[in-house]
This record gives sequence, C-alpha cells and structure tokens, in this order.
Amino acid sequence: MGLVLWIAMCALVGLGAAQEATSGARLLASKHILNQHLVQKKDVTVQYGLHNVGDSTAYDVHLDESNFDKADFDFVTGFTQAHWDRIAPGANVTHTLILQPKEYRIFNFTAARVQYRTGEARDAQIAVGWTSSPGEGQIWEINQFNRLFAPHYADWITFLIMCVPTVGIPYFLWHTSKQRFEISRVATKKQ
Amino acid sequence: MVFVLAGKMSKKGGSKLTQEEELLLQDFSRHVSVRSSALFYGSGGLAALTPIWLFWRIHHMDLSVYWLAYILVSAASAWLIAFAYKNTKFGLKHRIAQKREEGIAREINKQLQDDKKVTKKEKDERILWKKNEIADYEATTYSLFYNNLLYLFGTVVLSFVILRTANPLMNYGLSSLGSAGLVALLSTGTK
Repeated sequence: MGLVLWIAMCALVGLGAAQEATSGARLLASKHILNQHLVQKKDVTVQYGLHNVGDSTAYDVHLDESNFDKADFDFVTGFTQAHWDRIAPGANVTHTLILQPKEYRIFNFTAARVQYRTGEARDAQIAVGWTSSPGEGQIWEINQFNRLFAPHYADWITFLIMCVPTVGIPYFLWHTSKQRFEISRVATKKQ
Repeated sequence: MVFVLAGKMSKKGGSKLTQEEELLLQDFSRHVSVRSSALFYGSGGLAALTPIWLFWRIHHMDLSVYWLAYILVSAASAWLIAFAYKNTKFGLKHRIAQKREEGIAREINKQLQDDKKVTKKEKDERILWKKNEIADYEATTYSLFYNNLLYLFGTVVLSFVILRTANPLMNYGLSSLGSAGLVALLSTGTK
C-alpha cells in the first residue's frame, strides 16, 4: 500500500514538471545552410525554421541575424531580420536568406537571435533564445572549386575536337594508304 | 646491307651511287629532309599546344599570367615529341616497306603491263622508288598519330588522375614534360 502511494506521488510530480516545461509558448529555432559546397561569389542559402512546441501562441516573434556582415557578404534575397505577429502552438514557420560570400576562407556560422512574447498582453513575459549554429564552413575560391568539382563537359568536348588535327588526320591518312595496299595484297592472294 | 653498300662506295673511290643504291640507302637512312623536319616540329608544336586548353579552362591557369610557362613547356615538349616522331618513323619505315612491297609491285606491274618500252630494270627501280615513297608516307603519318595520341593521353592521365591535387603550375610542367619525355623514351626502344 505504501509502495503504491509512493509511485502515485512520483507520477504526479513528473506530470507537473512536464506541464511546467510545455506550458505557454515555447519556440524551437533552427538555422541550416542548405548548400553542399560554399563557394565564393555563388549563392549560399540559409534557412531558419521556428517551431512552436508550447501549448499556447507565441506573439511578436522576432528573428535577428547578425552573423553576416556586409563587408563579407552580398545580400541577394531575404532579410537579416524577420517578424511574425504570432506562431500558433504546433505551427512551423521558415525564413530564407540568400547571400554570396565575397571572399574565400573558413567562416563560422553562428546562431541567430530569436525573441517573442509568451502571452498576448503587452506586458507578457518576453523570451529570448538562439537558433542552432551550423558551425564552421569552408568557403571555396571559385577557381579552385571549379577545378575540383565542375564537370566541364563543354571544355572536354572542345578538347576532343582540338585533338582531331593532331591525332585524327594522321590516322586517317595512314589508314587510307594501308587499306589501298592491303586490298592489293588480298587481290594477289585470290589470284 | 647498308655496310655492303658502304663497302662498295669505298672500293669505287668516291664514284657516284646508282639510283637503286641511293633508294636503298634512303630506305635505311635516319636522315630527315627539311620538309619532314618542319612537319615534325610543326606537328609536335601543335600537339604540345593542345593541352593548354585544358589547363586554361579546367585548371584555371590564365594565359595572361602563365604565358611564359606555356611557351617554355610547349617548346620543350614539342622538341621531345619531334624527337619521338623521328625515332618511331625510322623504326617503322623498313617494316612498312617490307609489308607493302608485294602490293606496290603488283600495282606498278599493272600500270606498266602494256608499256613495252619499259625495261625490267626500270620497272624494278620504279617499284623501289614507290615502295620508299609509300613507306616514308605511312611511317610518317603513323608516327604522328601514335606519338600524338600517346602524348595527349599521357598528359591527361598525369594531370587529371595522378597530379590532380597538385599546384596548377607544377601539374602543367610535370604532365606535359613528363608525357613528352615518356613518348621520347618509348620511341628509343628497339622493337
């Protein structure tokens, strides 16, 4: 009897703790670099994902990205700051930023800042958090990248065409002469 | 046979060779005419210039930056390739002459069968002359084809497989000169 009571008490404490953990709005934020290779002067796509795992709506959600400086990157599409009025419980939102690295180097992709109100009231508690941080990534020099990874089909086809005068023509001339006298030899054998 | 002819020459004490002897000597001679020499250096130069396209387009070695390396390496490679042409041609010419003898004799006999004025000696000389001409032509064209193919293939394998990650300048120098050197070395073989 005493044991059953003790187990029931433990279960209630656990549930209470769980309720406390998921009560109100609670945002999980991610930051992903979608490119397999990061290349100088080529588009890099950064995707931010926000998921409300709480049981109430998150209000006045701000995403603030300060990782990318204008001296290092050209901004192609998207903004470094985003705002959502509300994110319902269980809802996802994504934000995308496309930029081009100006120089090649190892770059540290750090976390972006996320801020939101846990209640609708103006004086509701403000929560501040961070997205995941992708970490360090190698930005390739464009020439080096092309040298190692680009297929260069057109360049190889052109090279094969360029080989015709030095390889194809001598072979054709030799083969034509060879055939001419081999035919004579075959005719001789037949006779 | 060359030594026998040389012996005859010394006995005659500087008297002129017959046309037949001259043709036979040509058959075995390593001498390359000015025209053939120009063809060899021209073709060797063209073959040595062809890989520049790959190094410019794929390895991103700009012509404006690496022009001196391109000139020096191409000139050295062209010389080595031309050396290989001469050796390969010399090795092939006599073998081709032996193989084509029957076909050429048959063709000449066919051409002259109605001409009663032509003596047997004249006919033999014509066959010998034609055989020398055809052997020279086929040996030259085959030598160009074989050495160019070997050089270009060697350059591509060295540059894009073995030295793929090497510094572009070193890659170019070693690939082109290495391949041309290999072609020259193989041409010195007795078989």
